[in-house]
Amino acid sequence: MPARLEVQELNAWYGGRQALYDVSLEVEDRAATAIIGPSGCGKSTFLRCLNRLHEETPGARMTGAVRLDGDDLGAADAVSVRCRVGMVFQKPNPFPNLSIFENVAAGLRLLGVRRRDELDQGVAEALLHAGLWEEVEHHLDAPGTSLSGGQQQRLCIARALAVRPEVLLMDEPCSALDPIATAKVETLMARLRREYTVVVVTHNLAQARRVSDRTAFFYLGKVVEVGPTDRIFASPAEKLTENYVNGRFG
Amino acid sequence: MGGGADRPGERFEGRGRRLRFLGRLGLVFGGGIRLLAAAVLALVVVLAGFLLANAWPAIVRFGPGFLSGTIWGDQPGGPFGAWPAIAGTLLTSALALLFAVPIGLGVALFASELAPRWLRAPLAYFVDLGAAIPSIVYGFWAIAVLVPFLGDTVEPGLSRLTHGRWPFAGPTTGGDLLAASVVLAIMIVPTIAALSREALRAVPRELREGALGVGANRWEATRLAVLGPAAPGIAGSIVLGLGRALGETIAVAMVFGGVYEAPTSLFSRGATIPSWLVTQFLNPLPGLDLNALYELATILLAVSIVLNVGARLLIRRLEAPRRSRRGARWRTAPTVVRVPAGTDSFAAPAWWPRIAERGRARRRWRAVVQGLVLALVVGAVLLAAYPLASLIETTAVHGGVAVVRPSFYTSTPPPSCGIGQTNCPLGGVGPEIEGTLVMLGLAALIAIPVGLLVGVYISEYRQSRLARATSLVTDVLVGVPTILLGVFVFAVVHTYDQTIEASAIAGAAALGLLMVPIVTRATEVALRTVPASVREGALALGFPRHRVTLRVVLGSCRPALVTGNLLAVMRAGGETAALLLTAGTSGLWMTSLTSQTGALSTFIWTAFESYSSPNYTTDAWGAALVLLLMMAVVSLAARLALRSPGGPGSV
Repeated sequence: MPARLEVQELNAWYGGRQALYDVSLEVEDRAATAIIGPSGCGKSTFLRCLNRLHEETPGARMTGAVRLDGDDLGAADAVSVRCRVGMVFQKPNPFPNLSIFENVAAGLRLLGVRRRDELDQGVAEALLHAGLWEEVEHHLDAPGTSLSGGQQQRLCIARALAVRPEVLLMDEPCSALDPIATAKVETLMARLRREYTVVVVTHNLAQARRVSDRTAFFYLGKVVEVGPTDRIFASPAEKLTENYVNGRFG
Repeated sequence: MGGGADRPGERFEGRGRRLRFLGRLGLVFGGGIRLLAAAVLALVVVLAGFLLANAWPAIVRFGPGFLSGTIWGDQPGGPFGAWPAIAGTLLTSALALLFAVPIGLGVALFASELAPRWLRAPLAYFVDLGAAIPSIVYGFWAIAVLVPFLGDTVEPGLSRLTHGRWPFAGPTTGGDLLAASVVLAIMIVPTIAALSREALRAVPRELREGALGVGANRWEATRLAVLGPAAPGIAGSIVLGLGRALGETIAVAMVFGGVYEAPTSLFSRGATIPSWLVTQFLNPLPGLDLNALYELATILLAVSIVLNVGARLLIRRLEAPRRSRRGARWRTAPTVVRVPAGTDSFAAPAWWPRIAERGRARRRWRAVVQGLVLALVVGAVLLAAYPLASLIETTAVHGGVAVVRPSFYTSTPPPSCGIGQTNCPLGGVGPEIEGTLVMLGLAALIAIPVGLLVGVYISEYRQSRLARATSLVTDVLVGVPTILLGVFVFAVVHTYDQTIEASAIAGAAALGLLMVPIVTRATEVALRTVPASVREGALALGFPRHRVTLRVVLGSCRPALVTGNLLAVMRAGGETAALLLTAGTSGLWMTSLTSQTGALSTFIWTAFESYSSPNYTTDAWGAALVLLLMMAVVSLAARLALRSPGGPGSV
């Protein structure tokens, strides 16, 4: 499989504290890559470097290169990077004052989509892909925050999908959800990974096994091992990885 | 918890007595603070009663005609009418809001969202300082700098441009409706900016990041994800700014001309209710004249109560969840979207390439919009900063001469000497510093413990009717114009003895009245930020409830409490209007607590009234500089207190 996203010698800091050390990683096209590792190992920081959200944190800094289809994202305009690399956050965060429709339409409007029929189509598609359409088609005017937690998370996925990103980043997308909502989001992820390049950070090893094609194990800000998910879980090359996936620490 | 103490199990035999003792102590404590809250509530009711009783003869005599009458007591006994003061108050406040809202919001947006990070903290400090500078200092600066600037430059220009047409008609004196409105605007910009900034900063970061995540730039993220949730807080800040404008006394009294006529143009002289109250209460004629003044004060009280209660309701309505406004604005019928056939594939729709192609140009345009917003916001910051910088500079330059002289702190004010008279004797403000410290100390001694305990009561017994009533009353009291606090004390004192002199005791009472609600509110808010888990953790260890409150809960929000108390001291330290009415002015060292006592703030007022005396003026600038430095130090201390371990909390 071809690499879509190339990360080279990524270092990241929060103030004086270094969070990532020389991380190099290739992310395959149309596949889901799971990032696993114990708390504080730099998983989320890594993800936030991929769409340059890291630099929005006060005092944060990064060096190294992230390339998407060969374009250096560090040299590009941050706004256009975030259009190409969408993100879903740990806690559902729909815009609280916008309706369901407008939540999904927000990104499209920013891109300059104005025509009614195009907006309608874009919003409907995004909601369909996010598997939320049937639940909300009759009350698109209700506030986004009136939905349940799981629905809100799928609304946020729809919001990210609406601008047709090339890469979708998911930062522990199910950690704030109950098991039933988690199952729905995972079904959705299983579908999305065939069409998008997905990078998902997860705490949940079983989830990484279920939804990812490749897995990277992070420990203390470094990549310990990357490989096909089956291999990482069945026969890891590193002792550290083996201990982690077998639940001996973390 | 007293319950467990009644029947200690055998294993607890040894601890029984101690538990019983603690339980009783808790009951005493609970009863004590309940009594205190009731006393504060009763005091406010009594004060309002005194005001109303004193206003009653005038209310009966003039009836509703009082509101529309345009004359204030040409001869003793009337007639008295409030219309010119009402019109002056409404016009100055409305114009001030017109100037201050866009500027204040611009400053808040810049300080919280758009400014480079290193600039945010110093900017916040200056905004807070601007809100803390006493109105007497604003007024004194306005007389020296703003009024000449308006009268010599701005107003003649406006008059020429418009050929003196309305609303730019009349002689251009500088001391007029425009000047009063501009001073008010300058004073309320920091209030609006500080509170709006708090509201913006309270919006969780995830919401901003959500917007950035779909490719919004910083301004777009603010518009999409931040302004909506912050709207109730911003609305609240505007209402509070309006409240401050309506009640502002001293600065308006200094620049508005003191003429009892309803303004007809921007260049008209006039008066507002508070400014008229302070100038008239300083030389009150007994009888109906005084009753009419009390009635005017009652009107101001009613307006400020309505405004405060209205603000509460407004914020509650804005905070209530509801159907999206945006959805309603785009369309009237509910959104119905039919899914076009074949949509379920991941292929891009036919129009997508067109949008993608335009992406770069579109992004550039969006950056231009962001740039425009940034330019507007920076313009607002500059507009807000300029008067503040001028005020600090003027005060430092004129007052610097006075404060470097040691005798400035130790001698009494000089005898007045006229313009042109050489070798004027130099003086100092020793007695005024003494008076400020004594009255502030007395007030703090009573107000801080009372305010703290009442605040504890309100937050610990949130459900009880007494707590809710006390909470409402302190809320209203925080917003009551300070001149009214002076009028309250004046009314109580004079109801018993019409000839009684103003005194340090009365001044301290007025300052205490000013501080109690501020401390109470600060305590209440600070306690609310303490998570329930802290409380539960302590209760689970078997701490009695009052100990949990006093030791654990109060301890865990100490920085916010310190800040609240410092703010109260700051507000009281610069208070002028209430002190003029209650403590008077003296110029002599204090001999007893029951005679007239000067303070730094009231000294500046005296100097303003005898403006012709240059040595007096220098010392007044010195007093202004001392007040300014005091505010600078105290607000810095308040910031540092909040930053210390124990975490953030706000007032």
